[in-house]
Amino acid sequence: MSIMEYNGGSVIAMVGKNCVAVASDLRLGNQALTVATNFEKVFPITDRIYLGMSGLATDVTTLRETFRYRVNMYTIKEERDIEPEAFAHLVSSTLYERRFGPFFIEPVIAGLSKTSSGAFRPYIAGADLIGCLNFAKDFVVAGTASEKMFGVAEGLWEPDLEPEDLFETISQTLLNSVDRDAYSGWGAIVHVITPEQVITRTLKARMD
Amino acid sequence: MDVSFALTGKGYVLVAADTTAARSIVKMKGDEDKIKSLGPHLLMAYSGEPGDTVNFAEYIERNIRLYQIRNLYPLRPPSAASWIRRSLADSLRSRSPYSVNLLLGGYDTSTYTPHLYWIDYLGTMATVPFAAHGYGSYFALSLLDRYHDPEAPLEEGLATLKRCIDEVSKRLVVAPGKYKVKVVDKDGIREVEL
Amino acid sequence: MNTFIDRFSTTSAASQVRKLKEQEEDEFSDAAWGSEAGFGNLAKGIPSFSVPSVHDPTAFLRLHTDDHADPNCRIKIQHGTTTLAFRFQGGVIVAVDSRATAGSYIASGTVKKVIEINPYLLGTMAGGAADCQYWETYLGIQCRLHELRNRERISVAAASKYLSNLVYSYKGMGLSMGTMICGWDKTGPAVYYVDSDGTRLKGDLFSVGSGSTFAYGVLDQGYHWDLTDEEAQELGRRSIYAAGHRDAFSGNTCNLYHVKEDGWNFIGNFDISKMHYEGPGNVPGAPGTGYGYDVRVLGRNSSNPPPPEAAPAVAAHA
Repeated sequence: MSIMEYNGGSVIAMVGKNCVAVASDLRLGNQALTVATNFEKVFPITDRIYLGMSGLATDVTTLRETFRYRVNMYTIKEERDIEPEAFAHLVSSTLYERRFGPFFIEPVIAGLSKTSSGAFRPYIAGADLIGCLNFAKDFVVAGTASEKMFGVAEGLWEPDLEPEDLFETISQTLLNSVDRDAYSGWGAIVHVITPEQVITRTLKARMD
Repeated sequence: MDVSFALTGKGYVLVAADTTAARSIVKMKGDEDKIKSLGPHLLMAYSGEPGDTVNFAEYIERNIRLYQIRNLYPLRPPSAASWIRRSLADSLRSRSPYSVNLLLGGYDTSTYTPHLYWIDYLGTMATVPFAAHGYGSYFALSLLDRYHDPEAPLEEGLATLKRCIDEVSKRLVVAPGKYKVKVVDKDGIREVEL
Repeated sequence: MNTFIDRFSTTSAASQVRKLKEQEEDEFSDAAWGSEAGFGNLAKGIPSFSVPSVHDPTAFLRLHTDDHADPNCRIKIQHGTTTLAFRFQGGVIVAVDSRATAGSYIASGTVKKVIEINPYLLGTMAGGAADCQYWETYLGIQCRLHELRNRERISVAAASKYLSNLVYSYKGMGLSMGTMICGWDKTGPAVYYVDSDGTRLKGDLFSVGSGSTFAYGVLDQGYHWDLTDEEAQELGRRSIYAAGHRDAFSGNTCNLYHVKEDGWNFIGNFDISKMHYEGPGNVPGAPGTGYGYDVRVLGRNSSNPPPPEAAPAVAAHA
């Protein structure tokens, strides 16, 4: 029995044209037993950054609270919103603080960062449970269905997808992956972040 | 080996826990109350490692009471749940973690809404319409998926709870014999007979 | 150089092993490779199996077989399943899920877990898929031979006893099966639970597999002897749905059978997710809505705000 598979669950983020998308399933399990089907694993950090976490559910909740606290402190001190790059390093350092007794989560960060010209550039990153950052240009995955998501995303993803097409791509990738994973699924939620707005949709998924 | 159930209904939460205190293969006590009142509208059923359970429950009970004394009003169920969860999560990474599983049922008097939280010894928390801990959950959850009604009046809620208890008695090899049942609603907490 | 000599010498240890192996292969009847589908060795009576040439074959097998302690070994055996069968006034209902998992990977969602032994006998499959498939097919052969020899159909009791004795003779060698032998004979509808420990139980209602507890939860509460055919089929279907929803290792679809006096009938294949959202479709006994909790209680909530009558009264007074 692996701690990372104890509660089940999966998260994915993808880059599009001037937008990013991040999605998670909704299952909270106790190994084979499904306890709840309303457990979200993606949380808003700022208006333009979302953080997804898969792994041990208690740490998902604890770290969500930790990051909310640290980002609030950052915002107060700096008198501005945190940028995705800085937040990714905040995540990394927070995880590395527990190098010898880690939080059992793999984070996925998706956001839009402001360039010097004032335009927005899509940004995604993932990390392992002790904070080794992984900057990707296409997509990042985490969770019990990660292997399956790598496979499906590798086949479906293409560069410069518009928000609606990106939504379709990330949804199909997640849904088809969790349908082959016993520990993930039971509903899904997708956030598409564009410079103007964040589109959040819950998906109708297989419930077995 | 402990079994506990909880379910919400129209304006109330029902919490039930078995009453056996066992040590090794011996039943030490048959009428132990494993449901604590944490305030005028908050109930907590606890189960898990003997020793840890009562110690942790009393720690929570005293601190929730302290909050009420200091602030002249009690914590509302969602806030209490968050604080209790965090206590368990912090304890998990301490030198001697508490192994206690909780069902937290409360009635929020300002929104007129019953709340139920499923919390395990790791500090995992889920907001649910019905919940169970222990081996009983393997029989009761599917049953509650089928029979639970969030708008059921108290009599119907008790009938559904009785179904769970009967099912566990029928199928679980190590089923407990007796349960204590408490209900929390707008009028506060009281014990009910099945 | 040594390996080279080993390979071609006729006296080395390696060549001894090679010779032993060749002998074994020669002993295997040609029929096994032909049209007799692996049952060719039946000509010699009880089937025989080649056993790994080590001094403890059982330990060797365990080393390479997926069990709960080591999910990473190479031979994966199907663990997760929900199967159920019950007897009632109108015959026997048999319902199973169709998921096969290898670790957390869902290897298939279209497994047939009901084995049609003959037109009057059904067997269910939980545990080792291959074990169940092979031995229940073998049981079918023996049942047919019984029919030819005695000009009479075998009773469910006898068939299940045959299987039980058979798997008992392999006890301790790693067979893994939990099965229900269901059918109709002179005595009426019958259900027997048989497993690889050698347990054989006659009963009215059984469920086997990782999702069995969830199925029992719904089944026990809805079960009584006087169920109509439609009610019984609905109960079987609903119970498999319950297990598919709560158990990670059960799901995908439900295969439903009804055994009556004239043999078994396949009622249908029902998608468990479709049952969650829409119900089983236009079939007798269906509720017309989805089985899912969220679907069933949509729009209902537990709040009980006081009725807003106090406010206007105060206003009128002022």
